[in-house]
Amino acid sequence: MMTLVLNRLIISIPVLFGVLLLGFGLLILVPGDPAIVMAGPMATPEVVAAIRTEMGLDEPVMTQFFRYLGRMAEGDLGRSLISNKTVISELGAAIGPTTELMVACLIWSIPLGIALGTLAAVWRGSITDRAIMAFSVAGVSLPIFFICLMLIHFVGVQWRLLPFIGRGGPLWTIEGLRHIALPALSLGLIFIGPVARMTRSSVLEVLRLDHVRTARAKGLSETRVILRHGLRNALIPVVTLVGLQAGYLLGGAVVTESIFSYPGIGRLAVGAILSSDFPLAQGAILILALAFILINLIVDVLYALLDPRVQTS
Amino acid sequence: MKRLTLTAAVALALPAFAQAAEITVVREVDSNNYDPHRAVARAAAEVLFMLGDTLVSLNPDMQTIEPGVAKSWEVSEDGLTYTFNLRDDVYFCDGKQMTAEDVAYSITRWVDPETKSPVAWRAGDVESVTAVDEFTVEYKLSEPFSELLYQLTQSFGTIIDSANVEALGEDFGVSGFNGSGPFCWVEWTPRDKMIIERHEAYTWGAPFHTNTGPASMERITWQVVPEENTRTVAVLTGQSEITQYVPDIALAQLRAAPTVEVVRSDLAFWTYFMGFKIDKDTVSDPAVRQAINLAVDQTAMAEDLFFGEVEPAYSYVSQGALDWNTALDDTLLTYDPEEANRILDEAGWERGSDGVRSKDGVRLEPIAYVFAGSTWGKISESVQAYLREIGVAMDIQAFDATVAWGRLATQEFDMFGMSFPYVSSGDALNLYFRSENMPTPNRMNWNDAQTDELLQAGKTALDDATRAESYGAVLEIVHDAAVWLPLYHEPMVVAQSADLETVVPHNIYGAGLYKGLDLKFKE
Repeated sequence: MMTLVLNRLIISIPVLFGVLLLGFGLLILVPGDPAIVMAGPMATPEVVAAIRTEMGLDEPVMTQFFRYLGRMAEGDLGRSLISNKTVISELGAAIGPTTELMVACLIWSIPLGIALGTLAAVWRGSITDRAIMAFSVAGVSLPIFFICLMLIHFVGVQWRLLPFIGRGGPLWTIEGLRHIALPALSLGLIFIGPVARMTRSSVLEVLRLDHVRTARAKGLSETRVILRHGLRNALIPVVTLVGLQAGYLLGGAVVTESIFSYPGIGRLAVGAILSSDFPLAQGAILILALAFILINLIVDVLYALLDPRVQTS
Repeated sequence: MKRLTLTAAVALALPAFAQAAEITVVREVDSNNYDPHRAVARAAAEVLFMLGDTLVSLNPDMQTIEPGVAKSWEVSEDGLTYTFNLRDDVYFCDGKQMTAEDVAYSITRWVDPETKSPVAWRAGDVESVTAVDEFTVEYKLSEPFSELLYQLTQSFGTIIDSANVEALGEDFGVSGFNGSGPFCWVEWTPRDKMIIERHEAYTWGAPFHTNTGPASMERITWQVVPEENTRTVAVLTGQSEITQYVPDIALAQLRAAPTVEVVRSDLAFWTYFMGFKIDKDTVSDPAVRQAINLAVDQTAMAEDLFFGEVEPAYSYVSQGALDWNTALDDTLLTYDPEEANRILDEAGWERGSDGVRSKDGVRLEPIAYVFAGSTWGKISESVQAYLREIGVAMDIQAFDATVAWGRLATQEFDMFGMSFPYVSSGDALNLYFRSENMPTPNRMNWNDAQTDELLQAGKTALDDATRAESYGAVLEIVHDAAVWLPLYHEPMVVAQSADLETVVPHNIYGAGLYKGLDLKFKE
């Protein structure tokens, strides 16, 4: 198990380097001059030139890149051009809310997706099956922003049940829960579909296998057969899918957080890119990439736990 | 059962009480920081007015200067020395008393080249600002500046606490701000929200406020919501009590809603225009500039694009602004496409087979740089369509705001779109038409000795009549030369909850809520 984790970590290093390179490329390639951004709209050319020298922007690209890598290695992500706060502190403040959103989204959508998928498999061909699959297809096909806007329109504006602007506080407070409900609901809705579909086909597959037949032959109850012998094996591809989808979820969070003005990493990244706040954009991209690597690592570990064959190989 | 109902009722009523003195203001963008000398965004001014105080303040009529932390002031005969007598009961949020030293420190920091303030010129040509005694400040200029008091009412003139600035260093206005305003800094999360709390000791509001302090709001949250529809429904559903950032298209709906009140002030000086780089091949011809002015129907644009919520502009500054030259009222260029065509024909610009005019091999295809986004998208496309009618093929290039300022500092374009706030004609003219302000903000390359002379005369005038006369003359020169295509004057529109007392929008630098002292729930 340890070798597996270590292997994965070693593989992550070139990936991280690639991300750093891309993040730096962003600074060089996109239109927009960080010095002008920093100087503000009314600045005179002299002020801009002074800031450019101060930021080291007039040096060769290679020098800038190595200096950038050096700073990253020291854990210094720089300061935001816009707010002058350290990038670390801005990221730190945004990670909490995003984690909350992820938890609030996954905690209800994964079990629900798995349950729906299992039900659909067990009652294959029934009305329930068709309804669940129709719902899943809708969930997969509808764009996240549409779901967000519909929820705002009905739950927020028409019925006025829940707020839809900002974060009310930590997850464990009433206000925090009320504020996170709509974003977590929107984000979760796009997650249920793929999970349910994958669970359904995977359970169907597993139920056909020999060991399930043996279990049935032993005289175990159908529920027990499905839960103990079917679902455990069926979950392996589902875990893989959840891991892959979690990356997709981070992308969805960018949209969701923007629409609900929720102060997370996604909104931070969008804001930073739109306002040419390069250090912050680089930091946000780095964090998103790290999150992706971490999620994949967790998936691999879970995979190994569920399927002992992976551990030995 | 009865007890249960009672508990439920209390529980339901409680949040209402808790909210009683707290409001959320939604707005479109955040500022880059809240250092009065480095932040030039309207978003910074909005909060700085609440966090701090200025020497003098501006009445909502946008003309009358009233006391601020200075209870009175004298101006020397030659207009070079201003003596401000400060109130002796002004305290910063941390309890420290404000003295003349703080005022001297603030203004000196403002004009210090080290601060790199992009708005240092607004303080005039400062020779020295010194504390004569504990509550007297002597403000010495090397040249008279007739607009000084108006400029000192702006957020840039906010009096700051030297100890606070030194303690925070780079983080001043980022992680904290010790001001003397009706509200105190609590917490800022950039691009998300700014929270400020009532300054309990505040009693020194300017005389034009109904409430001179302390404020009746306990806490104000400035929440950034970039999406305009979300802001609109936030006001409709009571998640935000007040905002000036609602789209024109939603105003009719907001006015119809019983829970919302919409207030409007036409004394807002915020003008949208397109300027011409007058030394470029095409638009260097006055006939072309004049024809373009005649070809565009501002009234129809105001009606069609902005639902009649804005005032069509034919003048470069609002006709209600201080020192507007009323003699020009009848000479402004209004919609007359036939005349436009006639002028162009006469000047030798002939239509080609594709309908685009050219002269001496130069095609009339000016490149216009504008800001990306729905507002300038709408405006520039509409102008483009009007110009097509008279054989001018305007080419639009739009840039994101953070990039646009850099592009607008170049000489690559023929026309540009811009909007700006001002307190008076002089404010606008000194900003845009001084030759020393080329290439920005004088992006027209308007280089005219007579204008410079008149602007200097207006700036250094010692009496109102001379100043008005000088600025009036400048207005005449630039209007005659048609260096801009004025588009519309944007009024200040505030959408507020009907639970609030009706606010009087203040238009200084476009910051509608100004001090926030009169924000109050109805009783």
